[in-house]
Amino acid sequence: MIAQDVVLEARGATRSFGPEVAVEDLDLTVRAGEVHAIVGLNGAGKTTLMRLLLGMLRCDSGTTCLRDGGGELVDVRHLRPRAWASVGHLVETPFTYAELTVLETVRCAARLHGLTVADAGPASQEIIGALALDHWSGRRTGTLSLGNRQRVGLASAMVHRPGLLVLDEPSNALDPAGVLVVRREILNAAGRGAAVLVSSHHLDEVARIADRITVLHRGHVVGTLPPDGADLERAFFAMVYGAEADGHLDLPADPARPRRT
Amino acid sequence: MRAALAVEALKLRRATAPRVAGLAVVLGVPAVTTGFIAAAEAAPTSQLALKVAPMLVGDGWVAQLSMVGQILSVAVLLSAGVVAAWVYGREHVDGTIGGLYAVPVRRRDVAVAKALVLLAWGVLVLLATLAVSLAAGAALGQGGLDSAATAALARAVLVGLLTLLLALPVGTAAHLLRGYLPGIGVLLAVVVVTQVVTVAGAGAWFPYAAPGTWAGMGGPELAEAVLPVQLALPVPVALGGVMLAAWWSERAEVR
Repeated sequence: MIAQDVVLEARGATRSFGPEVAVEDLDLTVRAGEVHAIVGLNGAGKTTLMRLLLGMLRCDSGTTCLRDGGGELVDVRHLRPRAWASVGHLVETPFTYAELTVLETVRCAARLHGLTVADAGPASQEIIGALALDHWSGRRTGTLSLGNRQRVGLASAMVHRPGLLVLDEPSNALDPAGVLVVRREILNAAGRGAAVLVSSHHLDEVARIADRITVLHRGHVVGTLPPDGADLERAFFAMVYGAEADGHLDLPADPARPRRT
Repeated sequence: MRAALAVEALKLRRATAPRVAGLAVVLGVPAVTTGFIAAAEAAPTSQLALKVAPMLVGDGWVAQLSMVGQILSVAVLLSAGVVAAWVYGREHVDGTIGGLYAVPVRRRDVAVAKALVLLAWGVLVLLATLAVSLAAGAALGQGGLDSAATAALARAVLVGLLTLLLALPVGTAAHLLRGYLPGIGVLLAVVVVTQVVTVAGAGAWFPYAAPGTWAGMGGPELAEAVLPVQLALPVPVALGGVMLAAWWSERAEVR
């Protein structure tokens, strides 16, 4: 029985690249009005999972489903194109074209997400303001810093106020002020009722915005973390070590501890 | 489709590559044409004049416009081919391809929109090239266009359009091979194969050789022997290329 507020779902999703199993038999849901974070080491399968959920990759077995306008959870491979209008995403590379200005880029994203010419302009101006990009509005994106390109990518993902946001490490490359701005926009989106799926390496950041935290390791869900729990880092590594067959994972020692003594 | 067209047209208008490639044709073709003819007339026994002689048909406007057509058959393929490779391949190289997924605009519409804006760009480049060529001819005192000159002009227009169509599958190759450099590699291979096929005598039955042969690259006799059906070959080649790009867009995964 699937709860009515589930907007996005993976059911037994499995995907390999040659002999490498990226995601295996993975179940996950994202509900309206919640921020669901997935955390894991590099190569844990976070980006692959997001691509499967967005139909950028096909499952070898299992399915990924999105709730369409009619209220049904539909396999993303069979979704009507119009249903994607309620989705915003930023997976790996920001949607920026070096030759276009920030405003032009976001307007293009707005049109591709289904906004009319008349609506695309005001919506672009609004999200550019919300993400503190006004100063660079007329600048070509190719001249921006990596952090500001990331913000333009987020603006492109959010310009149409989607009901579902899928963001792969959204605070990557952002300065502390940028992190605050993006955090505010993600929480605002969830506050409006949007379902938000974010991936991150930053446990502190995740703890500040997530309602649920799922830990991925070697393509499997290995547990969940309480967002308000103490010492998330310790709990995270305990979960990851525990998922290894011999309880051992070759990770670098924490350099912070000797300095504190 | 309207949104895809608007986005693709804006990207093409703003980018440097199409401007440079277009200007190379608009200025390069008339410059090479008038330069070749002037060099041949100034020193008829020079090395350059001897090489240019087989390309010269008639004199005055006819000679100039015939040569414009011949050079267009190479220049448009190279120029539009590079731009087509860039238009499709850059989405993969720049990583923007993912942004074209999970949106209400169909990916096949984006692929077709890219082809349509490429055609519009190519027609503008072709018209500008012919305008500059005519202005150059007039500046050199060629006088008015008679019926033979008008026929040479019409032939140059058709050669340019057919060659433009032949550039579209280069974009498809770049799309399938996920980058503009592989697409440009395919373009260079096409140019080499066209030379080999032409030398081997298959000529006009090879779509990429047909417009050039009809323009007079192999001499007046071969040009007159080109059949209408051979001249029509670039149309299915272009349509097939665009349809393949559209089909691939719907099925390809983001890697």
